[in-house]
Amino acid sequence: MPITEVSSSRQGSRGNGDVRPLFARCGLVSQAKGSAYLEAGNTKVICSVYGPRETERKDETDMKSGRLVCDFRLAPFSCPKRGAWIQSAEERDLSTGLAESMQPGVCLHRYPRAQIDVNVVVLENDGSVLAHAVTCASMALADAGIEMYDTVLGCALRQDGDRCLVDPDLAEEQGSVRESYGENQGRVAVALLPNLNQISGLQADGEMRADTLTAAVRMCVEGCHKLYPVVQQAILRAVKRKAPPPPEK
Amino acid sequence: MATIQVSEAEKVYIMHGVRDDLRVDGRGCEDYRHMEIETDVVSNTDGSAKVRLGLTDILVGIKAEIGRPRPMAPDEGYLEFFVDCSANATPEFEGRGGEELGMELSNSLYKVFNNRHSVDLRSLSICPGEHCWVLYVDVLLLQCDGNLFDAMSISIKAALFNTRIPRVHISEDEEGGKEIELSDDPYDCMRLNVENVPCIVTLSKIGHRHVVDATLQEKACSVASLLISVTHRGTVTCVRKLGGGSLDPDSIFEMTETGKRVGKILHGPLMELLQKEESLGKERMKVGFLA
Repeated sequence: MPITEVSSSRQGSRGNGDVRPLFARCGLVSQAKGSAYLEAGNTKVICSVYGPRETERKDETDMKSGRLVCDFRLAPFSCPKRGAWIQSAEERDLSTGLAESMQPGVCLHRYPRAQIDVNVVVLENDGSVLAHAVTCASMALADAGIEMYDTVLGCALRQDGDRCLVDPDLAEEQGSVRESYGENQGRVAVALLPNLNQISGLQADGEMRADTLTAAVRMCVEGCHKLYPVVQQAILRAVKRKAPPPPEK
Repeated sequence: MATIQVSEAEKVYIMHGVRDDLRVDGRGCEDYRHMEIETDVVSNTDGSAKVRLGLTDILVGIKAEIGRPRPMAPDEGYLEFFVDCSANATPEFEGRGGEELGMELSNSLYKVFNNRHSVDLRSLSICPGEHCWVLYVDVLLLQCDGNLFDAMSISIKAALFNTRIPRVHISEDEEGGKEIELSDDPYDCMRLNVENVPCIVTLSKIGHRHVVDATLQEKACSVASLLISVTHRGTVTCVRKLGGGSLDPDSIFEMTETGKRVGKILHGPLMELLQKEESLGKERMKVGFLA
């Protein structure tokens, strides 16, 4: 069964092009150099950043630039079906996806011979996890004071025939994939550097026409821009708390 | 991945060449290197193929085994992908060195085939909910000379074309127990329709342009590539940005167009070639490995 025909039938009063309201906070994990917590609907993601520190694997060290090590975990209870504690193939794939999306945003040449660890844990998976993990990781990196070219924002999309649903929840993301033999069924995730207008990560699967894909990427870029003010505010708030502005006389 | 060192002067030389649509080996930006395809190379498999693209050498073997269908799709079989990066190809792959790359490659393959039309999974069903065919697609990298993804997808398509799955008959006894009987005739086989199997086109951004089928030298000049898997009709089944750089939206759209065009052109001759090779039957000349 296709998800639904009318736009208003998305949960709540959300339109097809709307992202879920975002809750974002920085600096909640006390031991980490920087951390962030992000909630979009029921999708809940924590990210902590450790380092820069000396690399563990010396043989592979590139002398001129640092290494960004990303570790993506889905908590065993985060999905409808219980997962294992050991990192699955899916999680490893998400880790590489995250690393590829984050790398262009970080000034790694400023950290020669060093390693920066980005650990992401998904507490609850309600769709678009990779996209939100990217946003969360960039907030945590900013909170850790790691030099960056720009924030990295993530947005996902589910193409279902002619409709595209921005920031899908789990039911929308997985729904009807199995039943439908129609055209243009797919999922897209985009990571964007908003100020530089560069796409740092792009992943898509399913089956789409090239023009649909292009339109989907554009929609995702728009979705990313919608998240930007919230992310900016959260980072600013954390900075103000760490270094309070001088009292006015 | 197997990487090589390229000096700054060499990089400039390559980039200027690409700007003028002339690459170091004389190709244009949208040309593939010389490609050799041979099917039915390993007798113990149900389907196999070997592809040589430049000096990249890839061997794919497909084994069909009877397994249980996934609960999500009781009336379908499924495909399993495994990519082995053997230390033969480069010493970097020794021990567990090739594991990460192998994971990345096989995960991408799952994504490429994650749609309803690539392979008709329902034709792999034997007895809904109980038995189905599982196709184990094992990819072996024999030599790495850049552009693993494209070579890999072409050899998978060729191997799937070559795959022959034995026919089975289900007989039921009085108590309702089912038994699977394999056909006695070894030539009584089922074949897969590979028309919709996509091919991967990897585009590497070099300077302001992008090239198809980058060599290792060209790869070293590029900060980001875009992987696009395209079917013969031009539909896109998977896209992925690879590498540590970023791309601006316009170049992504351009690259998608190029990928679609190049991919569509790739399918026709490939199918023609596979059919021609098969029609030769026993008379065909065997080339073998690393020749």
